[in-house]
Amino acid sequence: MIVLSIILGKDDLAKYPFLEEAGTYIRESHFDLDDFNRSEFLHIIERAIKRIEFALIQGKVFNDLEKYDIELFTFLVSLIIMKYIDEDWAIKRFSLFEARRVEKFLIADLLKEKDQIKKNLIISRIFRELFQLDVESDPKKTNLFKMNISDYLQRATQFNEEEWKLINRAVDNGYVYLDGDETVRLIRSEIYKLMYNKIKNMNITKIPEQIKTHAILIKNKLTPPIKYHRHITEFPPCIKKALELLNKSENLPHSARFMLATYMLSSGKSVDEVVLLFQNAPDFNEKITRYQVEHLAGKKGSQTKYSVPACSKLVNENLCYATIDCRGITNPIQFGRKK
Amino acid sequence: MKKEINSKNKDFLVRLFKEYYFKNIGILSHPNQMHNREFGFMTFDGKVIRHLSFSKIGSLKAFIIQNVPSDIFCSNAYYQFPTFPITEKCWKGADLIFDIDLNDILLPCQKEHTYYICSNCSFVSKDVLTSCQECHNTKILKNTIPCFRCINSLKKETKNLLEFLKKDFGIQRQNLEVSFSGNTGFHVVVFQNNYLLLDSKSRSDIVGYLMGKNLSPESLGVSKDKSGYKVKVPLSGFSYGWRKRIVEKMKIPEGSKDNLNRFIKKIGGYQSLKNEMDKISYEVGLKLDPQVTTDIHRIFRMVGSLNGKSGLTKIVCYDLDKFDPLNDSCFFENDRNVDISINTPLKFNIKGKTYDLDKDTSTVPISVAVFLISKRLANLATCSS
Repeated sequence: MIVLSIILGKDDLAKYPFLEEAGTYIRESHFDLDDFNRSEFLHIIERAIKRIEFALIQGKVFNDLEKYDIELFTFLVSLIIMKYIDEDWAIKRFSLFEARRVEKFLIADLLKEKDQIKKNLIISRIFRELFQLDVESDPKKTNLFKMNISDYLQRATQFNEEEWKLINRAVDNGYVYLDGDETVRLIRSEIYKLMYNKIKNMNITKIPEQIKTHAILIKNKLTPPIKYHRHITEFPPCIKKALELLNKSENLPHSARFMLATYMLSSGKSVDEVVLLFQNAPDFNEKITRYQVEHLAGKKGSQTKYSVPACSKLVNENLCYATIDCRGITNPIQFGRKK
Repeated sequence: MKKEINSKNKDFLVRLFKEYYFKNIGILSHPNQMHNREFGFMTFDGKVIRHLSFSKIGSLKAFIIQNVPSDIFCSNAYYQFPTFPITEKCWKGADLIFDIDLNDILLPCQKEHTYYICSNCSFVSKDVLTSCQECHNTKILKNTIPCFRCINSLKKETKNLLEFLKKDFGIQRQNLEVSFSGNTGFHVVVFQNNYLLLDSKSRSDIVGYLMGKNLSPESLGVSKDKSGYKVKVPLSGFSYGWRKRIVEKMKIPEGSKDNLNRFIKKIGGYQSLKNEMDKISYEVGLKLDPQVTTDIHRIFRMVGSLNGKSGLTKIVCYDLDKFDPLNDSCFFENDRNVDISINTPLKFNIKGKTYDLDKDTSTVPISVAVFLISKRLANLATCSS
């Protein structure tokens, strides 16, 4: 019997299979990659395929949580398949959905875990050791967490929303106070990068046949994102930049998505065309995107058609990439019209 | 803005600045990790020389005495290669810095002692000039001689900054250096490692916090909804930072959702609350120069160096209450006199003495001459040397 970490329980490893202990467990079990060719591992491979399909085809987080050994192997097989697929857009999208899955478990652990010692261990292993972020739970309110102002700023400035500005936070004596959701939200991009790098840096000389057969099937099912090349040079630089990022399947902030959608709608594009544009976003979900685009187009909710944000607003949101051609314009929609 | 001065004034200032550095070179601060800093100078011809490096304080002092710059600067940043162009310097961090200047504190008295000076013919006006009334030159300098009220306001603002840094940011006084800029402001430098690596955006967030910018009702848990607004008190409550300041100013008992609700109802809803918060945050927020704090490649005036805009020394203030800038930072003696011609009637106080000068030639102590010539409000009289 292999002794798992005396610190974290097996259930925790099931939720956080990227931790060092998970790797140690697999190594110490003398497991060989060829073992995946055995029939008893078929259900693990099928589960990994399902997990990947959730992210890449359905745009959903895979919420199932099984026993730790099933989870550890499913995670490993998922990574092997993603490495085999070897499409950057797909790896990015999968990493984002895996990050969301971890986020969900972390929030639940921070909010619902009654055992303070265990809660502190999770904080220590994930926040401190993995992401070098010192987080402490407040002794008076255990669902409240605090972190150093500079640690907070280094992460929060990636968000453009006002709520993340330091002034809108509870700040005291060098610390920022956050609830569990907010604390976890801050490290979302770090979890994403961890997943992405794990796949990218994997070195597998020979992929087991049973995995390969399934990997080929899912690879054939995938639709690569549409490259939005049409007249890309005619767009103002802010829009061009957003499109370039989308083409690379980068995760655009909310403010950039708003800018892009309102710009395209104001330029006469249909809701369908705009929805299609966001197909490359790593977290694309057609239903949600359509609802949001229809809302911006004034076809849902308050029936208000939203305008393209002014250049000054885009400057504040760090979305402006003005060039000499932008001279004299106050809104991206005027680009190319006003001279 | 600094423009070239006439050669007679320049020779006079160069001679006295050289004398100052010769006698007082020990006052010049010794920056930590000196070999990682970029140094810069301004010449009396208005040229800026940057991207210099000195690994020893002795070589910097020798350079200063030999070249006599009008202003001396040292980067707040630490670089692997301080002499390389900005993009190749290899940035290793920067001290967090703040600038409190009269330009950012709008005081009613400033009009009385602010002068607009033509950089070409030295014409002086107390009214805002866009071009010179005499020679039509458009390069206009703006100079202020701070009065007691100005100094007191600057000190008050500096104390408020120290209070914010202590209470909210947990920065203790021993990790801060407060200095008089040598002209119309105070500088504060934070020597605390956890702020060293912050990028420009994070520093912008810090300065926005201190200035009270972008405070939203949502931070109090108040958000818009179909019925107008709704209140959900945040888990972190109202006991910290700006939330505490706002709740106290609005006299809402801490942590009470009902009282907050009542207050919003009374003042007229979400937008009225936002307006009220904007008003309070403007009043309580500090008046700082945000560009100084957000610039992570800034060359900052060195402690112990002369400010070329005033001839006063940038000096560390250990006791703000007792500090008297126009006395404590003036290192020129009153033992020699010199004749100057004044461009406009002036009344001011320096080195503990009040001067009331008219538009003619006056005989004044060296300290006064250096001060007024540096401020471009006087010229060395033709008979003086």
